Amino acid sequence: MPPEMPLLHVALCKQLSTFALDIRLDVGREIMVLFGPSGAGKTSVLNAIAGLLPPDEGEIRFGDTLFFRRQPGMPTVNMPVRKRRVGYVFQHYALFPHMTALENVRFALRHQPDADRRAREWLERMHIAHLADRYPRQMSGGQQQRVAIARALAAAPRLLLLDEPFSALDVAVRERLQADLKALQRELGLVVLYVTHRLEDAFAVGDRLAVIREGRVMQVGPIEDVVRRPSSLAVAESIGVRNLFRAAVVRAEPKGILLDWEGLHLWAAPQPVPVHSHVTAYVRPEDVKILYPDRPVAETVRFNQMEARICEVREGAHVRMVFVEVPNGHVLEIHFPHYAYTPLRLAPGDVIQIALRREGIILVPETVRA
Amino acid sequence: MWSALWLSIRITAVAVVALIVLGVPLGWLLARRRFRGRMMVETLISLPLVLPPSVVGYYLLRALGRDSPLVTWLQVDILFTWQAAVVASTVVALPLMVQSVQAAIAEVDPSLENAARTLGVDEFEIFWHITLPLARRGIVAGGVLGGARALGEFGATLMVAGNIPNRTQTLPLAIYDAVQNRQYDLANQMVLLMTALAFLALWVVRRMEMNHHAT
Repeated sequence: MPPEMPLLHVALCKQLSTFALDIRLDVGREIMVLFGPSGAGKTSVLNAIAGLLPPDEGEIRFGDTLFFRRQPGMPTVNMPVRKRRVGYVFQHYALFPHMTALENVRFALRHQPDADRRAREWLERMHIAHLADRYPRQMSGGQQQRVAIARALAAAPRLLLLDEPFSALDVAVRERLQADLKALQRELGLVVLYVTHRLEDAFAVGDRLAVIREGRVMQVGPIEDVVRRPSSLAVAESIGVRNLFRAAVVRAEPKGILLDWEGLHLWAAPQPVPVHSHVTAYVRPEDVKILYPDRPVAETVRFNQMEARICEVREGAHVRMVFVEVPNGHVLEIHFPHYAYTPLRLAPGDVIQIALRREGIILVPETVRA
Repeated sequence: MWSALWLSIRITAVAVVALIVLGVPLGWLLARRRFRGRMMVETLISLPLVLPPSVVGYYLLRALGRDSPLVTWLQVDILFTWQAAVVASTVVALPLMVQSVQAAIAEVDPSLENAARTLGVDEFEIFWHITLPLARRGIVAGGVLGGARALGEFGATLMVAGNIPNRTQTLPLAIYDAVQNRQYDLANQMVLLMTALAFLALWVVRRMEMNHHAT
């Protein structure tokens, strides 16, 4: 989904106990994932938007509604939490323990004539109508989470904030809830901010990704873009990029950029980068190919062929991981499906031929130094 | 004995109402709000726990006496009436009530209150529908404990309400009189009654705590 008309505008500074929050973010009718390690300030951003944490300075606006403003030369505005109409699903659900599922949802609708009927509708919509009379302690984590979402949406919020919503749930429950959330967002045209420290969650629900580290937005963009093209070393590290290395740009030619990684020459795809500069680059583990000794080399792996010695072979849930030592003494990680390379003997100590796909070598833009 | 018991019950009942009216907001304030002088308020409220009852009684005597500004302002003279005994019992029992309420409210997860705020609920409704029901065991326990303390009030009551049979003579004061007059049978009955009531109060509180931890 393209980043549409932004509705929520956030620009804020806040001194926290260990670091300063300095966030700029615009969100439209989409699921924007705030991704970053624990303690990066993601929850504080949600709290500031909801009005639970007043920033030191900045402006938070939703459409024409000003939530917060504290700027030199302007009158300070701080709309009370209850008037902001921000739906907030807390990390530990925060269901009222002395109320049943129905009462929890109905509480969001109190003072409305048909509260009971509408609360039941929301439970039905979240597929938990049969749990209406259960108390939170009588429900599983996934069921409680559904009540929490129903309760937040019943209050007809302008936007929905979710703090690590599904991290405590098991895989099957999580996947169903993620699918339901995505469907709801599309159907209702919600503006959603979704905080998580798991990149898998971002892929499962997100339209765009904002990588947050130490209180700052390092990069914002469509998830695929951010993951394929991290703009800085910090983002690359945050999203768990493998095979990072620092190299010098030797020369630029129509056929590509020649990099020198501590004596190992590698070709990367042609791109504008100053010659003789230094840059951080990486090669994705999927883009390191193992060559069959008895077969002709395919065109796609024509470049960057080398000999490598296997250090370790590990079995993952979805891929097989092989760690190899390349001629400059460094270790690269190779990932491939379990069914690939079955005719080859791959054991620690063996020497194999590998090739790094030229397009698979990616330069991290913000790391270019003259 | 029966008039003393009836008077004690009446005083205690009014004192418990006063304890709830004063203790719940104070406990909430101390548990949920950060303000200047908070420690001061907390310490002042707890003071009757450690002061000799005669000292508390003396302060109250001065506060409720003829030339006290409070009395001139409010135009009420309650010294040596059962109402003065209510004041004495309330002041002495208040620390137990406030501490109990404060602990109970502090235990209510603030994110529940925040969740209610995001649902558009105002502060009073949050207190009434969320905080109060979740802290009710602590409030009831505080009321029972404070009530027991009020029922047993002796020193401060003696100073501000006196020891007038049928008018301000509560059960603990009647016990003192009975012993002074060597009416040991009467003293025995009243002592047993007081012990039973105090025991019952503590037992009820203990039971509530047990149930609380079981859930």
